[in-house]
Amino acid sequence: MSSPLPQGSPGRVRVQRIAEAAVERARLRVVPRAPRVTRAPRVPFVTLVSLVLLAGVVGLLMFNTTMQQNAFAATSLEQRAATLTSREQTLRMDLEVLRDPQRVAERAQRLGMVPAATPAFLRIADGKVLGVPTVSTARERFDILPTAPAKPAVLRTRTRVVEVPAPSVRERRRGEGRAGDRAENRAGNRAENRAENRAGNRAGNRAGNRAGNRADSRSDG
Amino acid sequence: MTSRPRSAPRSPRASVHLRLRFGFVVICMVISLFGVRLVQLQGIDPQSYAAMAAREGMVTVELPADRGAITDRNGVELATSVDGRMIVADPTMTAPDAPEIASFLAEELDLDYFATLESLRYENTRFRYIARRVPSTIALDVLAEAQERGYRGLSTRRDPMRDYPARDVAANVVGFLGDDAIALGGLEKTFDGLLSGTDGEATYEVGGGNRIPLGDQTTVEPQDGADLELTIERDLQWFVQRVLRSTIRGAGGDSGAAVVMDSRTGELLAIADDPTFDANRPGAAPERNRVSRAASDVYEPGSVQKVLTTAALLDAGKVTPRTRIEVPGTLPRQDRVIHDHWDHGDIRLTMAGVLARSSNIGTVLAADEFSPDELHAYLRAFGLGQRTDVGIRNETAGLLPDPSLWSQINQDTIAFGQGVSVNAIQMAAAVNTIANGGERVAPSLVRGSATSDEGEQVGTATAERRQVVSPEAAAQTMQMMELVTDPEDGVAPGAAVPGYRVAGKTGTAQRVGEECGCYDGTYTVSFAGFAPADDPRFTVYVVVQNPRNGGGGGSVAGPAFSRIMSHLLRRYAVAPTGTQASTYPIEW
Repeated sequence: MSSPLPQGSPGRVRVQRIAEAAVERARLRVVPRAPRVTRAPRVPFVTLVSLVLLAGVVGLLMFNTTMQQNAFAATSLEQRAATLTSREQTLRMDLEVLRDPQRVAERAQRLGMVPAATPAFLRIADGKVLGVPTVSTARERFDILPTAPAKPAVLRTRTRVVEVPAPSVRERRRGEGRAGDRAENRAGNRAENRAENRAGNRAGNRAGNRAGNRADSRSDG
Repeated sequence: MTSRPRSAPRSPRASVHLRLRFGFVVICMVISLFGVRLVQLQGIDPQSYAAMAAREGMVTVELPADRGAITDRNGVELATSVDGRMIVADPTMTAPDAPEIASFLAEELDLDYFATLESLRYENTRFRYIARRVPSTIALDVLAEAQERGYRGLSTRRDPMRDYPARDVAANVVGFLGDDAIALGGLEKTFDGLLSGTDGEATYEVGGGNRIPLGDQTTVEPQDGADLELTIERDLQWFVQRVLRSTIRGAGGDSGAAVVMDSRTGELLAIADDPTFDANRPGAAPERNRVSRAASDVYEPGSVQKVLTTAALLDAGKVTPRTRIEVPGTLPRQDRVIHDHWDHGDIRLTMAGVLARSSNIGTVLAADEFSPDELHAYLRAFGLGQRTDVGIRNETAGLLPDPSLWSQINQDTIAFGQGVSVNAIQMAAAVNTIANGGERVAPSLVRGSATSDEGEQVGTATAERRQVVSPEAAAQTMQMMELVTDPEDGVAPGAAVPGYRVAGKTGTAQRVGEECGCYDGTYTVSFAGFAPADDPRFTVYVVVQNPRNGGGGGSVAGPAFSRIMSHLLRRYAVAPTGTQASTYPIEW
């Protein structure tokens, strides 16, 4: 009520006005229709949501695919690493075979080398020789080959004794000499051959061959 | 809802109530069913259901741990693990082409043709081993080649293999692995736990044969085994083994051992045993050749023992190197008569002469100054009668009788090395005490420290040192030992290294035969010594059992000692000290 009210009997007037206000409030009125809300256009929103959804799905799919692909790549790389590791191991084994002290020593002996005799030193400071320098000779060489395995009884040659009438002294002397020589030669040759074969056939050669073959095949590929 | 109508049960409200109640009862029943099932699943036997669930699509793969290598002191591998493969055949598929496949495999893998052929044609099975422990690269190459040629029915599987690149070098110490990678001997077995590590495993979900990237997975990484580094040097070990073998062959001996020790640190640079075996093919050698004789063979040391007796006498102040002893030709003691190794009448030797000439009688007379307890205490301090615990399996403790049981004759024979038993490592360590200024360093075989499966800690880090005799006594003993290799006065000129001062002692002991348990007329010959005598770097001990060429310690083991010692001095570039040799008188 904005207009100024008439003065006088203010009590009554207030009461009346209070009541008036209450009455006024109690009265039912039609709610005024709200002004029409302008609705945001629907299409962009739907598009956005679908885009987000699509991006999510595609992203997830791609993520999964990448993961799968990575897993495959990891597996194949692991396999490759394993292969390379085992190749390295094999090559290392070959190397070990080649530098096996037994093999090196056998080779050295075949070249005619002998172990050094007494150690001696040359002192640079005063040019003095310490120790007794000695020339190494074949005497220093010692047997480094393993004991040959025992032959099975079947293969052992039996001694055949043939009785021959005693020849004359001269003949006997000549004959003995020749037979002795021959036997010695034969025994010597056989032992040597056997030793050589054994040394040659053993791992050294094999490793060498293997390494060689592999190198060839690689250069071909 | 203000007031509830009292009557009219047929009203729609009452029917709603009834339905609600009915529904509630049904829900309760269903929920209690679920509850019962829940208790059944979770309370009664949850594990079996969990396992059942896991079996669906879960795969567990073992991740094998790599076995540690055994290396020498320079890191050169004595035993190493290699990725191996086994080649297996399915005879139902290989039988038709068996001859071709067999000749191909025999050629490529050095197999026996006939055995392979038989395996390829074996009936009533779909699994036959063709070759085991083939290096992985070779196996895969061979298989690829086989496939190219159109042979079917061959496949490979993982088969870890142990390679011993140097074959018989240090094989008796290192030991070997049997089939299926079970450690069967030597350090391989003693330190199996340390070397083998712990296998891991990976569990993951599999879909359609492929691992599911985001699936459940647990991986327990394998703990690879630790490497074991030895004090041995491979090339030196090889040399010592070959010298020993050629010595034994030359003397016609049964077996032997040689020990090389660093005098100052007690590190064992080589432990050679002969006969030995190829660790890659342990089955080819008899069992007695696969143990370390240096540690497990027990024998009587003979005259090498006199070094210990003499050092003890000097330390106790009972004799000096110049003490004069009248040595009779024979010495009757109790019911026995003691002889020397050479025939002589009454001779006058100094204590130094007794050692240089290796007189039993002289030693016995000098050792009379000792009570059994005193001598026993000294010998015990030298390490006799106790295991050296270097880590070798089945080491013998030797036999040093209890002094309370010693009779006069026991003490007499023990003084010159009969009636007491040792192993080669023990004796090398005892002689090394003299080389190391009277201080015994416990020998060690493992560098650093390692704990065996039995929980024993061994290695250079735990090597004990104890002063057994005074440095003066040790120095005097050394000078007396020097006379042994003297070209004129000594009994073993063959053990000398020209240009160097070498101290040593021969030993020729009667041997207890295996059958009769008595002295059977065979001998153990040995030589122990060190060089350079006045500043020892290496102690070498060579033992040959039962030489049949009639040689003694000086003539059989002496030259082997000299050869090994020369090699050592050159290898480690030890120059001669250039000092004057000992001048103790031999006779008086």
